[in-house]
Amino acid sequence: MAIGERQEAGSDDVETRAVGWRHTVKAVREDTTARLGLYLIGGLTLLAAFTWFDYLVFDYAIAETVWYHPENDPDVVDSLLPPAFVDGGTWAHPLGTDHRGRDLLVRVIYGTRISITVGFLSTAIGMIGGTAVGAIAGYYGGLVDDILMRLAETIYAIPFLVLVIAFMAAFGRSITYAMVGVGVAVIPVFARLIRSRVVTVREMTYISAARAAGVKNRWIIIRHIIPNSFAPVIVQGTLQIGISILIIAGLSFLGYGAQPPTPDWGQMLSESRGYMLPQPWFSIWPGIAILFTVMAFNLFGDGLQDAVDPQLED
Amino acid sequence: MNLARYVLWRIVQTIPVLLGITTITFLLTNAMPGSPVDIMVGPEMDEALEQALKERYGLDRPLHERYLIYISNVLQGDLGVSFYYDEPVTQKILERLPVTALLVGSAYTFGLGIAIPLGVLSAAYRNRWIDHVSRVIALFGVSTPSFWIGLVLIIVFAFHLGWLPSSDLVRPWRSPAQVTNASTWLEVWYLSARSLVLPTIALGTLQMAAAMRIERSSMTETLGKEYIRLARGYGVPERTVLRRHAFRAAQLPVVTIVGLNVSTALGGSVLIETVFNINGMGRLIITGIQTQDYPLVMGTTLFFGVLFLVGVIITDISYAYIDPRVTYGDAE
Repeated sequence: MAIGERQEAGSDDVETRAVGWRHTVKAVREDTTARLGLYLIGGLTLLAAFTWFDYLVFDYAIAETVWYHPENDPDVVDSLLPPAFVDGGTWAHPLGTDHRGRDLLVRVIYGTRISITVGFLSTAIGMIGGTAVGAIAGYYGGLVDDILMRLAETIYAIPFLVLVIAFMAAFGRSITYAMVGVGVAVIPVFARLIRSRVVTVREMTYISAARAAGVKNRWIIIRHIIPNSFAPVIVQGTLQIGISILIIAGLSFLGYGAQPPTPDWGQMLSESRGYMLPQPWFSIWPGIAILFTVMAFNLFGDGLQDAVDPQLED
Repeated sequence: MNLARYVLWRIVQTIPVLLGITTITFLLTNAMPGSPVDIMVGPEMDEALEQALKERYGLDRPLHERYLIYISNVLQGDLGVSFYYDEPVTQKILERLPVTALLVGSAYTFGLGIAIPLGVLSAAYRNRWIDHVSRVIALFGVSTPSFWIGLVLIIVFAFHLGWLPSSDLVRPWRSPAQVTNASTWLEVWYLSARSLVLPTIALGTLQMAAAMRIERSSMTETLGKEYIRLARGYGVPERTVLRRHAFRAAQLPVVTIVGLNVSTALGGSVLIETVFNINGMGRLIITGIQTQDYPLVMGTTLFFGVLFLVGVIITDISYAYIDPRVTYGDAE
């Protein structure tokens, strides 16, 4: 083994076995933690869909009538209330209120909209971009490979957060740019992954056969190379959604993500910094929401990993 | 290839990457809306002053010319003068770097100090209580935002219990005269250590969790190998098997992840420095972006890139020390 070829766990001796979808589904079904992760993701996605619905169709009318209880909520008086189970709290606001008297439970629930959406979409951008770059680099090799991979390395060398902030400083502060920025920043992660697979798949007999039969390169890549290199991308993609949600929360915390008054976890944490002494619970809830969301993707991703790559199974 | 030639070759390889970083940051900073001069002059523009400032900072020249000038300056080790601080960027970076280095270094020490023993124990006692506990810790660690850990630590240990300071980092190299509440060096170091505890935990948790997971899976894999079974068959005590036979062989993936995570740690320091009001590199870059300080943003980003590449090269070199089978091959 030459230096410079990085060693990753599981990459030694055993070649990853191609495992059918049916096996994967079965393995995930039998894995309790993966199932838990999947249920959590499903629940959060439904919640996000619901908040999108309320936002787009009713302009938050559901949130206001069902949870805000405006009739017993003369705003200012109720600002910075503690949660109901603490002295001074009320069940009208189970998790308490923020500095402007807004219900924290409602804001935390509505925070799923930004986090889940941006997590999925930014990862999709990274996955599609990375797959294209990695497949082209790996299949053609040579100069194309060198240029694309050096470019990927360049992007990878700048810390995510710094790169995305610089990107947003150039194009504007909004959650859309944050999403695109994170998506572009994670392209190298997927590009490297798929390239390393493509380099092996490229040498398979059926690829030579396709080439000998006169199939065009572009078609070989789309029809044969990518589908046969995709399993690790799916696993990485699941884990990456969690990582993207963490990055987006960090960006919002620094003021480079969702802008007020849009409810978003990172931005809520940023606002809560001024009230940590009088109302610490304000800083607690959004963090717990991020924690469980990211954990859901990690649980499911780990389960998928074990299913796709059975050598490390317990 | 010997070590010196290998290192030289790796450094040569980083040149296109460094050029790429410089180009990307140059283009991004110059795409920022408005000009830094607007911020300096304010809304009541004085045409003559504006023109003079633009000339002084070379902003009146066309983009490609500025790019070439910038690149040639960087090659001579000159990162330009910060608009905001009116000081050379290099000086500003060197002033802030030790703070961030201290923070990241102590986060790594904390993270690896916990991750390596727990990861090894986790693999050695698979599916026993210690394995379950450390896996849960690792799962929480990779799922929790570092800045939130910082906020919670501040609430609990600074505000509620009052044990540790909530902001600022006392620099251990400051003389006692410059530090409030300190009259001897020992007191400076004590205050410094106290102020370092919370940011270290906040930044180090992710590193700990990531390293612990990889340590566990790598050790598990190694312990399943033939030669380990052989050693056990010979009656080598399990402790010796772990220490002498398995541990070293299992460290390559761990070192890889630790090396690549330098970038994550530097990015995380931006957040942690914000939470704890520490004036390090992370705050420097944020200030640069907020004030549209082109040279500062470009310089700090480039420097982050250099730090990352140095980390990767050190990682590659350390492979050979860990695993004698690794050669500085001519493969690449």
